[in-house]
Amino acid sequence: MSSSSFPTSRFPFAAGAGAPGGGGGGGGGGSSVRPWGSSGGTSVSSSGKRIQKELLDLNASDCSAGPKGDNLYHWLSTIIGPQGSPYEGGIFFLDIVFPPDYPFKPPMVTFKTRIYHCNVDSAGKVHLDILKDGWSPAFTISKVLLAIKDIIGNPDPYTPLVMSISRQYLTDRTKHDEIAAEWTMRFAR
Amino acid sequence: MASRDAADSPRYVPRRPGAAAAAPKDGAGLLSPRFRSAAALAGWDEESVLLAALVVEDTPVRESRRKRRASTSSSAGGSAGSSTRKRRSRRQSPGKIPPVVLALDDDDKPDAASDGKSELKDTKEEEEKDVLVGEKEASGSGEKAAATGNLPCMDQLREELSCAICLEICFEPSTTPCGHSFCMECLKHAATKCGKRCPKCRQLISNSRSCTINTVLWNTIQLLFPSEVEARRTSIESPSSCNEDMNHSPPRSNNFSQGGHGMRTRNSNGSFIAEGRTRSSYRTFITPASTPSSNTSGNFISTHGSTRSSNSSNRRTFVPASQLVNTRSAVRSDQSEDAALAYRLQQEEFMNAFEEPEQERQPRNTVSTARDNLRAMASRAIRLRARGWPI
Repeated sequence: MSSSSFPTSRFPFAAGAGAPGGGGGGGGGGSSVRPWGSSGGTSVSSSGKRIQKELLDLNASDCSAGPKGDNLYHWLSTIIGPQGSPYEGGIFFLDIVFPPDYPFKPPMVTFKTRIYHCNVDSAGKVHLDILKDGWSPAFTISKVLLAIKDIIGNPDPYTPLVMSISRQYLTDRTKHDEIAAEWTMRFAR
Repeated sequence: MASRDAADSPRYVPRRPGAAAAAPKDGAGLLSPRFRSAAALAGWDEESVLLAALVVEDTPVRESRRKRRASTSSSAGGSAGSSTRKRRSRRQSPGKIPPVVLALDDDDKPDAASDGKSELKDTKEEEEKDVLVGEKEASGSGEKAAATGNLPCMDQLREELSCAICLEICFEPSTTPCGHSFCMECLKHAATKCGKRCPKCRQLISNSRSCTINTVLWNTIQLLFPSEVEARRTSIESPSSCNEDMNHSPPRSNNFSQGGHGMRTRNSNGSFIAEGRTRSSYRTFITPASTPSSNTSGNFISTHGSTRSSNSSNRRTFVPASQLVNTRSAVRSDQSEDAALAYRLQQEEFMNAFEEPEQERQPRNTVSTARDNLRAMASRAIRLRARGWPI
């Protein structure tokens, strides 16, 4: 029963999303990619400056993120499945796109790794208040990643993106956890 | 007293016509008509008389009727009495002039005034910072830079004093009613783009409060992070930051606002004393500030518009407009820009010719010119006395 709900492809989303080596996303980030300041043009705008600063501050925290390539506004991030949840042991890749007026508009965050979660739809969209109306320019990407990590561990079934999963989460929690763990084993490892 | 005046005045009246002849003998008569006319020709007698009236109360200056009456009453006290009085006044007068000058020489310190403006809503962290600043100032201004680097909690301070929006040290911080501080520009942008709520706690922010600079916090930041503030200032002033202004902020290379900051902060930082004293305010006004990103030469000019004379922190050198003509004409000769340039040249000439009226624009300069005037008056009075002015 449960195996029939699996998607057939291992990487159903964009190509190369699951590749761990893709663009220095893992950990340190800063060493493998060339200096950010020289990437864009003659000068770095205020949003670019802020993104650079966030990148420097991020290296200390446990969530890892960094620019995919030369583009400072396009990041790849990894979140490790929180302990004690069915997603434990999984590594989830996320795509982060910063808008040009970044601190004042939220970044667009999408899951590149499939996850069985009621707040993440099959396209990888995340339903998170702070990424929409609840955005504040005082948020940083590390806080966003922390919030995403939190919502992975504690799904919010009352504002779901996938109704069936949320219903299952409320009615049959053990079954939900089982499927989630299975998806994690299959896609996020 | 009145009767004595009445008795003495006839004695003085006949002496006046013969004062010129009796000049070497009579000290009091030396000054009268001849000297007075010469002084009137020189055009400075009224000032010295005013000063004499201010400094030495009973100097027998016989310029006007009022003064003469005063001198009459003073000399009417008998020969012995008047001589002691004269001696005393002579002894006093050198001691009396310097205090006036000294009082003017003292630099006005608006620092205390600005500190007095401290808002009551200062948070605990700000108090802590003020304490730190006090310690640093006590340690001596020469070691200020070293002390800044050696403060143990510098990283914490940096974190506390940085703006949550741009993640840099707050530049011209503005404090919301809920007590959170951001760069004023950042806060304005956040208010326009994300609604009038505090970015940190989402409380509603009113318009009026968010537009004012938290002076205490700003001075503290300038003391603690002078290099960061200076770097930010130059990056804002420099034309390379013009793409930052895609969010329709007013160009901050405008020197009118900068001059205002300079006035506010010159005593805390010391590097902005001379700010705005040059013709920069004129020049930025004239340069086409509306097209900061159009061509490089325009930026060049606006850069030089912010040149400050004798400002140690500003390493840009002054380039006269006549040199700029070549660079500008090489690139693009817009008609309006040419007109602006011509006007600028004219203005510069005018400024070279008349330095004074421009200096009077600054409140500090008015004080200094007033001080110079008083000094000149005092020196004139002293010179007069040395020449044998009767005292």
